[in-house]
Amino acid sequence: MEKGGLELEITELRLGLPGTEKVMKKRGFTEMIMTSSGSNSDHQCESGVVSSGGDVEKVNESPAAKSQVVGWPPVCSYRRKNSCKEVSTTKLVGLGYVKVSMDGVPYLRKMDLASSHGYDDLALALDKLFGFHGIGVALKDGDNCEYVTIYEDKDGDWMLAGDVPWGMFIESCKRLRIMKRSDATGFGLQPRGVDE
Amino acid sequence: MNYFPDEVIEHIFDFIASHKDRNSISLVSKSWHKIERCSRKKVFIGNCYAINPERLIERFPSLRSLTLKGKPHFADFNLVPHEWGGFVHPWIDALAKARVGLEELRLKRMVVSDESLELLSRSFASFKSLVLVSCEGFTTDGLASIAANCRHLRELDLQENEIEDHRGQWLNCFPETSTALTSLNFSCLKGETNLAALERLVARSPNLESLKVNRAVPLDALTRLMSCAPQLVDLGVGSYENEPDQESFVKLMDAIKKCTELRSLSGFSEVAPLCLTAFYPICENLTSLNLSYAAEIQGNHLVRFIQFCKRLQRLWILDSIGDKGLEVVASTCKELQELRVFPSDLHDEEDNDTAVTEIGLVAISAGCPKLHSILYFCKQMTNAALITVAKNCPNFIRFRLCILEPNKPDHTTSQSLDEGFGAIVQACKGLRRLSVSGLLTDKVFLYIGMYAEQLEMLSIAFAGDTDKGMLYVLNGCKKMRKLEIRDSPFGNAALLADVDKYRTMRSLWMSSCEVTLGGCKRLARNAPWLNVEIINENENNDLMERNEEDEREKVDRLYLYRTVVGARKDAPPCVTIL
Repeated sequence: MEKGGLELEITELRLGLPGTEKVMKKRGFTEMIMTSSGSNSDHQCESGVVSSGGDVEKVNESPAAKSQVVGWPPVCSYRRKNSCKEVSTTKLVGLGYVKVSMDGVPYLRKMDLASSHGYDDLALALDKLFGFHGIGVALKDGDNCEYVTIYEDKDGDWMLAGDVPWGMFIESCKRLRIMKRSDATGFGLQPRGVDE
Repeated sequence: MNYFPDEVIEHIFDFIASHKDRNSISLVSKSWHKIERCSRKKVFIGNCYAINPERLIERFPSLRSLTLKGKPHFADFNLVPHEWGGFVHPWIDALAKARVGLEELRLKRMVVSDESLELLSRSFASFKSLVLVSCEGFTTDGLASIAANCRHLRELDLQENEIEDHRGQWLNCFPETSTALTSLNFSCLKGETNLAALERLVARSPNLESLKVNRAVPLDALTRLMSCAPQLVDLGVGSYENEPDQESFVKLMDAIKKCTELRSLSGFSEVAPLCLTAFYPICENLTSLNLSYAAEIQGNHLVRFIQFCKRLQRLWILDSIGDKGLEVVASTCKELQELRVFPSDLHDEEDNDTAVTEIGLVAISAGCPKLHSILYFCKQMTNAALITVAKNCPNFIRFRLCILEPNKPDHTTSQSLDEGFGAIVQACKGLRRLSVSGLLTDKVFLYIGMYAEQLEMLSIAFAGDTDKGMLYVLNGCKKMRKLEIRDSPFGNAALLADVDKYRTMRSLWMSSCEVTLGGCKRLARNAPWLNVEIINENENNDLMERNEEDEREKVDRLYLYRTVVGARKDAPPCVTIL
């Protein structure tokens, strides 16, 4: 465990990409994330050292690393196990559950792609999920609708939903997003018809 | 000498229920001590290792109701090993042997086995009430014993326990003659429920006021249950992720409308928005609402619901309600006394703009003059906001603020939050419980020590700079009972400065701090009336034998508590009692 003043922070090894580091004041916590040990360490803190404006960038760590600090945030374990998000999150991997977000709706939903049988089915399911009729239209009618349905594929690219065969789609879709058409331009969507 | 005969004095004492008051009464004179102890029916034991069952029974032979707490609070956050202790069996065993006429048992954070429940159910003919909170170690088989054998059972209340569900027929075990139930809560059971048995039980329990079912009770069953129990005051519903069809919806709403006594609503581990609307007819009667498990429901639906709940006194909600939602709460719920806002995003995965901030907290403080208890998880806070909150709400008794990111400063000034919390303790003269978070220096503890005169429980995490911080608290807070600290730079100097202070406290928890084995040993030597427990999960053998005397070794977890019965005998290998 490294000890020392803050001036050594620059030389400290981090997991993130350069330029995406968060300025941490309490080194104990930093080390806790990185080494996932809960033991104490040098807590000397100069309260004068702050990140600019207090608004820090997210460190490029996996979410799993953050939750390795035992018992933080202090939410009791019963609640952790039973809060739906917790439950759903563990289902996400490999079982066809993907996160679906819709612009203007503050909450993510999750759905099981495997329970839909095709794009039409998916359209209906999305309508039901958000209580909004029109998403389905977006999938089918493409250009005539206020919203577009896009998905993030295995490579991390955002593609317009509906182009590839259904089987291929559910295999590669990692998450869905229903976006306002006006925002879609300039979003960096892969052009239609491109092969993966 | 007493002016009145003992019976008269005893009768007068009957009017005094608070255990604190009764403890005080028993200190007045030998005679009063005797009358009090012989007539005491309810005993509260905040730490099951502070006393043993034999001494309890000896002192209070007329015991009818016992409350016991086991594991320390931080066990809720997985900081205490599973096998640490807190076994209820020796208590039940001793009470049974002494033929105490036990009627009520309330346990929190204790280990309960099926054997214990079976013994309990067979040993006390007048047993009426079992309340288990955050306990573990038992299965539905244990519940079956209780159901089957406790002829006069009125209350079975299971809150947030880890219960192994054998999907048995425990509900069927209530005999047909059992009609005295007033409260049944099995919301924490994970398995299938025998709906027919449940419905029959509810139908033959005319005094049932509180019913909290588990996830496995579907909407149509709920409708039937409510129809045969319109007298319900407190209802916990199951999980309803699918929208009901028209017919079911109408039936549900009809049943709900008949429950005119309903004041408290909870459950909703999943709830489709339409389902929620079925409850609109009784919203205006609600005084207590817990929607904090409904993770998938969107803020706007929550807000629409709450807009009808003008009489709400207690609200538990998720931060998906957002600042805007809290502003609606502030303008609607003028009777609000207790608010808890839980985080919906525990892994911080989503870029969640809707989590609450200082804006929501300020709005609530401005709109709800009766607010006295708050638990608030948020992403950011400012001193200015806390100062405003303090001005708006000087009546706080409990103030727990958890800023999700440790050490986060005031996001507008980048300073520590010392001044903000300082304002809270200065304004809230009746503050009994406080949890602090965010970037904090020793100064906040100076304020706490100076102003928090009624403070009984303080939770500290990732805060402070030096031993001075902890010392300010120990020296200043005369009423401190429970102090729990994690990941803060307090060490031996603070721990050892005033050993006698721990006589006045129930317990002290310190984990990932700077205290060393040597410091703890010294404390244990100077205070034989304390159990000084070192918890070291990573070591596979006794700490003492390991590296014989590396006294400078920092202690992973320290838990100390006053006791009159010395070191406990049931400690697991990972716990060393110095």
